[in-house]
Amino acid sequence: MLGQKMVFDSGNELAALAAKQINYHIMGYYPITPSTQVAEQLDLMGAEGLHDVKLIPAEGEHSAAGICYGGSAAGGRVFNATSANGLLYAIEQLPVQSGTRFPMVLNVACRTVSGPLSIKGDHSDIMYALNCGWIILFAKVPQEVYDFNIIALKIAENLRLPVIIAYDGFFTSHQKRKALVFENDSDVLDFIGEYKPEVTVFDFENPVTIGSYMNEPDLTNNKYQLHIAMEKAKKLIPSVFEEYCNISGRRYHICKGYMTNDADVIMFILGSAFDTAKDAVDNLRQKGFKVGAATVSVLRPWAVDEIYDVIKNAKAVVVCDRQDSFGAGGGNLSIEIKALLKDFNSHADVITRVYGIGGCDFYVEDAEKILNDGIAKIKSEEVMKFDYINKYVGSGEKDLRYFAPLTKEMTSPENVKSGVDENGKITVSGGSIKESLSMPRRIAPGHGACPGCGIFINLNLFLKGISGNVVLLFHTGCGMVVTTAYPKTSFKVNYIHNLFQSGAATLSGVLEVYNQKVKRGEIPDEDVTFIMVSGDGGLDIGLGSAIGAGLRNHGMIVLEYDNGGYMNTGYQQSYSTPKGARSSTSHIGKCGKGKVTFHKDNPQIFAAANIPYVATAAETHPADFIKKAKKAQEYAKKEGMAYIKCLSACPLNWGDEPRFEKDVIAKAVDCCYHPLYEIEKGITTINYDPEKKNSKIDVVEWFAMMGRTRHLKNAEFKGVVDEIQGEIDRRWERLKVRNECDKL
Amino acid sequence: MEADFGKDYFEMRLESIGGLGANLSGKLLGELGALYMGLNASSFASYGSEKRGSPVKSFIRYAKPDKEIRINCPVISPDMVVIFHERLAGKPLVMAGVSEKTKVIVNSGESAGFIRDRFKMCAGELFVVDALKIAMENKTRVNMVLLGAVAKASGFIPLEYVEKVVSDTLGKKYPKNLEGNLKGIRAGFENTKGIVIPNDGKYQFEKYEEIKRVWGFDNAPLGGVNPIFGSSVSNDLSASREGYIPLFDKEKCINCGMCDIYCPDMVYQFTEGEYNGKKAMVNLGPDYRHCKGCMRCVEVCPTSAITEGLEREHDITKTNINNIDLLNDNINFDDVGANSWVDSTSYTANEIPIDL
Repeated sequence: MLGQKMVFDSGNELAALAAKQINYHIMGYYPITPSTQVAEQLDLMGAEGLHDVKLIPAEGEHSAAGICYGGSAAGGRVFNATSANGLLYAIEQLPVQSGTRFPMVLNVACRTVSGPLSIKGDHSDIMYALNCGWIILFAKVPQEVYDFNIIALKIAENLRLPVIIAYDGFFTSHQKRKALVFENDSDVLDFIGEYKPEVTVFDFENPVTIGSYMNEPDLTNNKYQLHIAMEKAKKLIPSVFEEYCNISGRRYHICKGYMTNDADVIMFILGSAFDTAKDAVDNLRQKGFKVGAATVSVLRPWAVDEIYDVIKNAKAVVVCDRQDSFGAGGGNLSIEIKALLKDFNSHADVITRVYGIGGCDFYVEDAEKILNDGIAKIKSEEVMKFDYINKYVGSGEKDLRYFAPLTKEMTSPENVKSGVDENGKITVSGGSIKESLSMPRRIAPGHGACPGCGIFINLNLFLKGISGNVVLLFHTGCGMVVTTAYPKTSFKVNYIHNLFQSGAATLSGVLEVYNQKVKRGEIPDEDVTFIMVSGDGGLDIGLGSAIGAGLRNHGMIVLEYDNGGYMNTGYQQSYSTPKGARSSTSHIGKCGKGKVTFHKDNPQIFAAANIPYVATAAETHPADFIKKAKKAQEYAKKEGMAYIKCLSACPLNWGDEPRFEKDVIAKAVDCCYHPLYEIEKGITTINYDPEKKNSKIDVVEWFAMMGRTRHLKNAEFKGVVDEIQGEIDRRWERLKVRNECDKL
Repeated sequence: MEADFGKDYFEMRLESIGGLGANLSGKLLGELGALYMGLNASSFASYGSEKRGSPVKSFIRYAKPDKEIRINCPVISPDMVVIFHERLAGKPLVMAGVSEKTKVIVNSGESAGFIRDRFKMCAGELFVVDALKIAMENKTRVNMVLLGAVAKASGFIPLEYVEKVVSDTLGKKYPKNLEGNLKGIRAGFENTKGIVIPNDGKYQFEKYEEIKRVWGFDNAPLGGVNPIFGSSVSNDLSASREGYIPLFDKEKCINCGMCDIYCPDMVYQFTEGEYNGKKAMVNLGPDYRHCKGCMRCVEVCPTSAITEGLEREHDITKTNINNIDLLNDNINFDDVGANSWVDSTSYTANEIPIDL
């Protein structure tokens, strides 16, 4: 056995440690709870110079998977981690990876698939991957996450197949446990062996075509090759487990039983809950019941011989599914166990219990109750063949109405007026703070945002300028999570959430059905304004969809609250994070210098789509903000898409005090990091010029106000700050020229 | 030293508020058991998209070195409960599972008798320590002082191991804070004394039970659609405040609306009225039930009509202006915030952010 040391780490931390030891060429990733820590930890270690893994923050999981595919086709060792909808967004790439036979390793911290959205654990994501042609290992404790990450790459490279290591979100991804890890990275690399890719796009003497267009007989053969590889995997995996046991002392099995040899009833259960089931088995054994529990650590290939060998003596198998294949009478585990038993002509009864959905805790008592159902079954008692545990009927209390619904009249107080000038240009007037007080709130208090959060200040300012009926659509993000925690909602008006890859598209659909229904006389024209609200994160992953709506010129307003990071998931860098800023995926350290690229310029991106109205706004200029909202409404109704971006303070992750955020925003405006301007049908107007007001400052003054950028004051960052200042000045100078010239 | 707690698991539950450092404490206690005391151990926190100021729970299990930890569920029969702030009294499941065998540590300057009544503690051993005061005296944070208290109350965690784990982890990352942290830990250890609360029937044992809501599968609107618009108004977030409140002086108010613009929590109640003999929207005052105490309103008020005050010095129930848009004032509020009376340094101090 090789030298090992004890650590106390979570599954995510250990996945990252294994990746560091393997020293993958690249990790293409996009943060999603609960897998995010893998990239964060790897970045933290990278900032200290502990590995050379190049971390590439994609704009979404689909691109992350694409980056990984490209990296593997280039002959690199490639790594990724994701969860839930991240896996589903990437899933199109998974059969490409396996079908064209490039090895890589993907960690899936299992989480329930939206919607409704929840961030907690179940197996509804991983079961989508069953048909993707990937080997799937399932780790039940952090130690296994580490071990399987090392084993996986060896298997992957041997078979030219990609491998997923799945583990329970939070229960395994976040729980800290003792684990033994190899002291020397070289021991890990020696075990895996040198990687000599058979195919790369860098062999210029033997050029290859990767990704052929393929028709019937060939595709059948290609898929049969994949089948053969999976059959080989059934034999290879146990031998790699054995080899790994020799260096680590830890022995793994495709299928593991606990007290199964003489058991009449066996609970079949995946992941962290297996250990809980063992306690239940012990308790029932003490009472004289012959029960056992079984699990698999290899979900694909589905090794029927090994599995049947463990459960063959059972009279009843109770399958616990942490997801449901709705309408199929069980989750995927149930379906596969039933099929397997048929293969062996077994007459064992199978009953299914769906448990632990959306992170519901699984107690020993739950496992005992379920095993008792199995015991009842073999006694021929009446037992439900299929059921959910943890569900309950409601108590039937009468629903309450807190507010009177907001009517069009109530929300049209004429606090800001619009018109059209002699050139046909939309004009607005009014919008003062005092006048705006008469606009009723469309959002109720009691939301769960952090003290001092900028989102609601921006939203309220914006909505003060919007009269009449609205339909709101929010992308996933802080603004959505803190307002709609079931069973409550902060919205007093119609609201939809959709995932941030397709929010604008969703609103396009809403808007066009509205138009159709009005046109067909099915509903009266209520003069509705359609508004999409997104953070800067939602407009990283959802930019394509939003630009698509812009290119269709759908009459909606897109409001972006830019807090410069993925704050809802613990502040990972977004493309809008300032260069040099610290985040949980852009650490500061010996080698880490914060975010490496400049902040994204979304207003200019939207302007390039030639939508009729683009504006920036800030809480420091409330009347300007309110008027821009009104103008955006007029453009959305008359001309097409309007886009407004506001800078939104995040005290928690900016690392400053809530009470002073207005001053922080003011400095961002005064240093021209967030200049205030609008672009109407291609014509740029600067609304606030700090140079003319003698208030222009250097960007470093703004950086000094926030914990995330305070280090940039130090002399060692002068080069970076100069670059940022240069970029800000370049953007500002260009704006000024455009302000002077209508043609630009 | 060999730890002996006389059974399979020693289970701890930390009850706190996002921002007070309980998550970090949980990690340190887990590491302490696993790597310093030779035990088997696990630690994890309650997860959710909790924002700063929300109640959080952190769980730690110790087991003998050869005992496999098989459970991943919350600690429901705790051997120790550590309560990071006394205003957590009455919050969901804070005292759940507390029985004769439980040691309960509460951060408070009050007497043990007062705290027992406040938390309706049925039985157990109660340790009250003024961790906030000690933390301020030693320039450290509440969580460090409470680590010392945990060592003392446990009876088997050696103080020097606590000092060592903090030196090895936080000390490396934040060397400047180490001296204060160690002083705080020691002071926590020295100032923690327990009294035994007999099971005298004064308060009932509270069972740890998962929360069941009004809406179940037979009556919840399909698809998770929520037809009760604006219902978050029934959340009382008072406990998110950190000891300070904005005080409103109507005499000085010029009804400019700045507080309305800059309040993220829609606290100020404006209605049609008269100001300086003219029709105007006038400020009636704040509904404190939604105020999280960010003090943005204090900063923007041009006439000092809004000033900062210590919450405990004011009876805001007398001055509160109920949300004027409510159809009915008589609603049941859910107490969903929690008090985290932390100083402003906590925004940049040695807190490891909770991953969401």
